[in-house]
Amino acid sequence: MMDDFFFSLLLAGISVGAVYALIALGLNLTFWTTKTMNFGQGSLMMLCAMLTVFLSSQGLAMALAVIGSLLVVAAFGVFIERWTVRPALQASGGSMGWVVSTLGFGIFLQGVAAKYFGSQAVAFPDVVFTAQDFVTVFGQYVSLQYLVVLAVAVALILALELFVRKTVWGQAVHAVSLDPELALVQGIPVRLLVLGSFMLSSALAGVAGVLIAQIGGTVDPAFGFDLVLLGFVAAVLGGMGSSMGALAGGLLVGILSKLVGGYVSTAAEHGIAFALLMLALALRPQGLFGRPEVSKA
Amino acid sequence: MNISRRTLGLGATALSLPGLVQAQPATIKFGFTAALTGPFNEFGEGINRGAQIAVEECNKAGGINGRMVALAEVLDDQLVPDRAVQNLRRILDNREIVGLMCPSGSGPTLAIADMIQADGRPIINPQAQTPTIVYPNGLDKPPRPNLFSVSISNTVESEKLAAALAQYSRVGIVHESTGYGVTGAELVRQELVKRKPGMRVSVESYNQRAQDMTAQLVRVQRANAEAMLVIGLGADFAVIRRNMSRLNMNLALFGAAGAVTMPYIEGAGDLVAGTRAVNHAAFGRRPMHAAAAKFVDLYRAKFGTDRWYGQDAANPLISLAATVGSGYDCINLLIDAIRRAGSTNAAEIVRALDQTRDFAGATIEKISFTPQNHVALKLEDLGTYEMLKRGDRVVLELRD
Repeated sequence: MMDDFFFSLLLAGISVGAVYALIALGLNLTFWTTKTMNFGQGSLMMLCAMLTVFLSSQGLAMALAVIGSLLVVAAFGVFIERWTVRPALQASGGSMGWVVSTLGFGIFLQGVAAKYFGSQAVAFPDVVFTAQDFVTVFGQYVSLQYLVVLAVAVALILALELFVRKTVWGQAVHAVSLDPELALVQGIPVRLLVLGSFMLSSALAGVAGVLIAQIGGTVDPAFGFDLVLLGFVAAVLGGMGSSMGALAGGLLVGILSKLVGGYVSTAAEHGIAFALLMLALALRPQGLFGRPEVSKA
Repeated sequence: MNISRRTLGLGATALSLPGLVQAQPATIKFGFTAALTGPFNEFGEGINRGAQIAVEECNKAGGINGRMVALAEVLDDQLVPDRAVQNLRRILDNREIVGLMCPSGSGPTLAIADMIQADGRPIINPQAQTPTIVYPNGLDKPPRPNLFSVSISNTVESEKLAAALAQYSRVGIVHESTGYGVTGAELVRQELVKRKPGMRVSVESYNQRAQDMTAQLVRVQRANAEAMLVIGLGADFAVIRRNMSRLNMNLALFGAAGAVTMPYIEGAGDLVAGTRAVNHAAFGRRPMHAAAAKFVDLYRAKFGTDRWYGQDAANPLISLAATVGSGYDCINLLIDAIRRAGSTNAAEIVRALDQTRDFAGATIEKISFTPQNHVALKLEDLGTYEMLKRGDRVVLELRD
């Protein structure tokens, strides 16, 4: 029989790791189409969770509140691409201005949320299950909230992987990621794909926000900022641009940090993710599932 | 326009009289920096509200010897120590400020303590719990001369918590990794071991705003703890309580004063039932002592039954004492000292504060200071509460 201590850590690690994977996947989506990442993802997570709280408090059914919030957050993706990423890319000819502009937009969103929803933590309602709901597997209590997080994250990642590999639109995304100018010449609607990637990326951030908010039980304007850093670590560890890499990277960061927290010291739990990042950059910069970048002379 | 010569004559006469030329005496000004916004503003905005009530009450009663009082510098630091230092610099540059209140937490207060000590103006600490704020060289050494405290000191709180936890043989302490959490945990651990030498105490830390505490909790579980104490703030305590439920942990749960606030009640929902906590006894006693009852009425009249007060008009939240009442007491103590000193000179106000005897506070029934003792809170001012669910409301009942 599996040790209770190890099993509890493993399950929590898988669950939070699945959320990191979703965030990493969101970062990957925009990386495919524009070679940029939205570092304001954390604020979109917060916004989606806050809007869900607000809409459900107005009497909307929970499912509708979540869907409505996801739509709003997805629309923000269009705004982010148009007003923070595109100008930065055009103005600076490929420099890293978008890092500051997306981060700045995230901080701006935090301020707006603090103004309209207040800056204190507010209770986040249980979406599907409560913290008391669990099933017993081989004599171990397994939280249904954790299982939902894992199931949703894995399902979304697999669906996206299938979309990219098996559909025409997925192939078009692949073409844009390789050479956007050539893709445009071949009649691929590059602008549409870029906008779509930002919308989907933002919606994924929203899903991650709702999933993690129900674990913690509260949400406040600063929610999500630390999580994006861990999602970024997961994306780099797994290999930028790889969906399976995002999943593997997220789970690796989640499980290792919980195991280190449990077996070594809780004070080291947070730091281990960044130690992993440094190690990965030194030993395998392309990540677990990434391919080394080759540039032709 | 028709102005008679007589009117002009009266005006000229009035202007020529020195007593009338000096219009109103100068306003007596106070200042402070606190977390007015940000995730911890329940504390900073709380003391701001308490201070506002004290100032309005004083001015309605005619001020201090006819001089009105005002909160002239109220700045926001979001509980960030660097910002608190910048804000305090600005406040101290205003020489009209005669008295101050410390920021709403140990980190920012520790950051500004040396500055304010060097300046010499009187300052009173409403909420920060770390003992070194008042006694930088140790509890047996003299306090900072101009810094006084009405907060729930970690030293006194740890005694009360240890008394409640002493019935167990194995205790887990989970604390936030700030000065408040680290000092609080160590003091409780020392007190527990002193009271019960064979006691096993496991101590785990977490970063504020962590979304999952499984590692901390399973370590406490592995240590076979019968009871667990959380030293942190309300939102994090809610995460811990929900996490406990997911792990099916059913041990006796205790919280420090900072943890049992509205974010805990809202975030953990029904799970809060059974949680025990140490907090000001004043608001749990019935009837409340006169100063507490007056403050509660003033708060309700000005702000209503809001997030700080709670929904039940007859029974305000116990946390109202620490989040708001302590700010009210700080400003009232300054007003009282200036009145007794008959001066706004810093040294004279500090001397008057040193001579404060049995001042009727809202959160502490009788506040006294001496040149050696600048901490007002005593063990009997704290109570142990149990959280109960009554219908759809959470109430805290005083147990000890």
